[in-house]
Amino acid sequence: MDATKKAPRVKKESKNKIKVEFEGQMSTWERIKLKVFSMYFLQTVVVHICRLILLIGLSYIVIYPFISKIATSIMCREDFVDATVMLISKNPTLDTYRAVIVDNRFFEAMINTAILSLSTAVVQTFVCCLIGYGFAKFRFRGNGLLFLFVILTMVVPHSTLHLAMFMKFRYFDIFGIFKLLGGGVFESINILPFTDVSFINTYVPFLILSATGLAFKNGLYIFMLRQFFRGVPDSLEESAYIDGAGTLRTFLTIILPISVPMLVTVFMFAFSWQWTDSYYVKVFFTTKGPYTFNEVIASPPRSIDTQYAGGTMYATAARNAAGILILIPLIILFSFLQNFLVQGIERSGLTAE
Amino acid sequence: MNAEAKKEKKVKVSSAPKKKRKIVSLDKKKARVGYLFVLPFIIGLLIVYLPMIYQSINYSFHELDPVQGGGYKLVPVGFANYEEALLSDSEYVETLFSGIRQIVFDIPAIVIFSLFMAILLNQDMAGRAVFRAIFFIPVIISTGIMTTIDNQNMLQTSAGTSIDTGTGTSSVAQIVNVMDIQMLFSNMAVGSELVEYVVQLVNDIFNIVNRSGVQMLIFLAGLQSISPAIYESCSIDGATGWETFWKITFPMISPMILVNAIYTIIDALTRVDNPVMSYIESVYSRSGGNVLSSAMAWVYFIIVMVLIAIVSAVISAYVFYQRRDA
Repeated sequence: MDATKKAPRVKKESKNKIKVEFEGQMSTWERIKLKVFSMYFLQTVVVHICRLILLIGLSYIVIYPFISKIATSIMCREDFVDATVMLISKNPTLDTYRAVIVDNRFFEAMINTAILSLSTAVVQTFVCCLIGYGFAKFRFRGNGLLFLFVILTMVVPHSTLHLAMFMKFRYFDIFGIFKLLGGGVFESINILPFTDVSFINTYVPFLILSATGLAFKNGLYIFMLRQFFRGVPDSLEESAYIDGAGTLRTFLTIILPISVPMLVTVFMFAFSWQWTDSYYVKVFFTTKGPYTFNEVIASPPRSIDTQYAGGTMYATAARNAAGILILIPLIILFSFLQNFLVQGIERSGLTAE
Repeated sequence: MNAEAKKEKKVKVSSAPKKKRKIVSLDKKKARVGYLFVLPFIIGLLIVYLPMIYQSINYSFHELDPVQGGGYKLVPVGFANYEEALLSDSEYVETLFSGIRQIVFDIPAIVIFSLFMAILLNQDMAGRAVFRAIFFIPVIISTGIMTTIDNQNMLQTSAGTSIDTGTGTSSVAQIVNVMDIQMLFSNMAVGSELVEYVVQLVNDIFNIVNRSGVQMLIFLAGLQSISPAIYESCSIDGATGWETFWKITFPMISPMILVNAIYTIIDALTRVDNPVMSYIESVYSRSGGNVLSSAMAWVYFIIVMVLIAIVSAVISAYVFYQRRDA
């Protein structure tokens, strides 16, 4: 390039004022050339495109099952024996949805599950917050040991405790006190009219587990909240103490409001995991219990006829319809809380230590 | 105030009247309140959790004997359940070994994939929020009932139909053919086991993407905690992206690798579609409240604990901890 030739000319206008003249100012074309036809630009573009393709491809893997679920769920009966139909139905219908809603009593299950998930999620969020705060901010004796137990509850799969859990809540008793007072040990003492309480087929086991921070993945929530509260500066609480607030009041009026994104994150986890849960429901509810989302809802509805060549696929379509119906409320909730969620996760401080 | 405290101490030493109120330091007061905060957990631990653990271990050493008029009686049988599980139930042993092998093979795959995705999603680009949301979806919804639905679908689609559910290995198998890849690599000096492993991973991509959600978030949070100043000084010194990754990102993220490896094992252990757990469940439901399942679950749990111990010992030897107070 002839850089020397196009060097800007400096003219002295007055004593302390100069004027710089750019003789041949770069034309637009030249600017574009310099910007676009460089190795650096090429590299950036290639990297961007490759990354985008990769991300779109991987997103496709995540999203495709849902597309497939939606597509098959609106297919009509004949589509499953038609070899030309891959994903797009020839006569879209909502038969499977109607069948799931009517035959499998979808709305009854949804209301029951909503009550259960909402109550347990609220309780879990509050209790885990309390416990996490306790572990993070107070140096009491046995802090480390107790936290080890929290890790233990996270590590031991609840399926290991299947039988023990059922027995615990079928014959609920606190250290044998009920048995003692109910006359199970000594025949003469009979203060309580029962020797044990059965909580099977009620929501009580869920609430007890939630209120004590032992429900599904509560260890993870406690861990997350503990890490978060560790990042909250002590001076905040100290200034509250100086102003005369007690520990509990500080917690309720200072700590809780600043941890809203974290709480929403935990609430979201707790709610959606209880919403799609099929394990605890199986342990605590027999066929006489409240009707919630379980295998029954995903079984082929009575009114759809699967006795033909495409029968298994038709049953699959009905199952997919049930799955979509279960997911819709979650997706609505997720889209409302999404902003909080990303914030909460970024601030979760899972990285401290 | 200080003098008063000293006085108090002196008084205490000379065993003075107990009427005077003891002065409690703020730290001690706070410690007491701390118990109040974790009280729910302590209660749960003592009343529900530890008895449950004890009972479950206890069951595994007993035989349930049905009593007339409902209820069961526990008959101690020593290690008979364990013997039965390990020595006479060949299906259990087989499932156990394949399950453990699966976990061992999944750890590197999931950790590497989630690290890769976290680095990708940590970069500035258009639509980053959308991609993050997409990769986060499986964390929330691929549990419980949805997994059940997917599993049932998989069972039925394997019977052979034209419609692809996109879950499991059946769908991607059409894209990557194991035989083709193996033929391609057969003449190169790459072990056939490695080729098979990689092909298996590619075919299992749905599961890997689905299961690396939480790990991805942990890595993302970890990446964001690395100071940008370090990267800046690196680029001033002329380090390439590759060098920066191995010299800066990798050591700084190594504690997260340990966390994620352990989380992956725990997650695999507690998943609903875990083959060993499903087998144990089927044993449990085979004859309502079979104690054999307790023994099986504890054997599996102990093996996985040993696995966690080994993995954390191996990885923590290489973990780099940054000194934060310097």
